[in-house]
This record gives sequence, structure tokens and C-alpha cells, in this order.
Amino acid sequence: MKDIKGILLGLGIAAAVIVTLSFYLLNAGNIELDEIFPIGIVLILVASAMYILWDRIKNVKKGLPAQDERLKLTNYKACSYGFIASIWSAVGAPLLSGILFDYEMPGNYVTAAVVLCGGSTFMISYLYLAWKGN
Amino acid sequence: MKTRIKELRARYDLTQEDLAKKIGVRRETILFIEKGKYNPSLKLAYDIAKALQTTIDDLFIFEEN
Repeated sequence: MKDIKGILLGLGIAAAVIVTLSFYLLNAGNIELDEIFPIGIVLILVASAMYILWDRIKNVKKGLPAQDERLKLTNYKACSYGFIASIWSAVGAPLLSGILFDYEMPGNYVTAAVVLCGGSTFMISYLYLAWKGN
Repeated sequence: MKTRIKELRARYDLTQEDLAKKIGVRRETILFIEKGKYNPSLKLAYDIAKALQTTIDDLFIFEEN
């Protein structure tokens, strides 16, 4: 039951992200080239999350647990890597944009960079560690 | 670390999925333990040994480098 609740919660969050993104795209008008990149990353993150959820549903259907001790450990490791990436991107994104492009990054761009870097690092680490064994 | 899980599974005619169901883990976890890519917790090692009617000592072969 706990596994199914977790899966349903994950599906709900993924649906909420897709609906929010759809509203943004419908009301954005002309989308600039620099906006396509973060939208692409969000779509990749949603697709990866859907893959993880599909894998869990597959296991629950077979009568196996959605998550066991190996995947919990993988989750903790990926979370810590994502957290480290978020912190460094908060420092690094404005610094790099200043050095490389001589451009002072606005606060909302830094927030977006933190969320995207943290999310991407978590997803890549999780999928890699789950594939590698741990 | 080497294991005798595959050998004992064959003896009791168990697939990786059967064993995974018996001890409540995912099939991939059994696969990674068999390949030596994942070191299980003491609790999981005990559960696997119990499911295969053996002891942890007999199931896992530790190699010192």
C-alpha cells in the first residue's frame, strides 16, 4: 500500500509539472531560443521520473517491492550529489555568467539554474547508480 | 566478495525472481549481489542465507586483497 501511495504521489507531481509547463507554453507567446534549453531539461527530468515510476509499477505488479535497501541507498547517494550540485550551482552560475559573458544573472535565473542543476544531477546519479549496482 | 547464491539457487530450482519474492527485494538486487557488484546489509545476507537453507559464512566468500 505504501508503494502504491508513493507511485500515485509521483504520478501526481509529474502531472502537475506537465500542466504547469503547458500553461506556461500556451501563455508565453514567442519562445526565445534561450528558453527552449531549460524547458528541454524539465521535459527530460519528467521523462526520467516517468521511467522510474514505470519501473516501480512493473515490480509492484510482479509482487516485488517498488524499492528495497539497494535502491534506498541509491536514492540517498543521488540526493546528496543533487544537493551538492545545487549548492555549487548557486555559487557557480552567477560567477560563471559574470566571468564568461560579463552578464549579471537575475535572481530568478539563479533559482532556475539551482533547480535544474540539482534535478539533473539527482536524476543522472540515480539512473547511473541503479544501473551500476550501487 | 564472491557468493554461492547462483549455485544454491540452482540446487533448489529457484529463479532470481523467486528468491527476490521470498526475501522481499527486487530481482536486480539479487543479480547485483550474485555478480559481486553490491554488498548486502547483514540483515539481507541473513535473509538470503535463510531462504537458501544455509549460513552467511557458507554463502559469501570474502577475499582479502
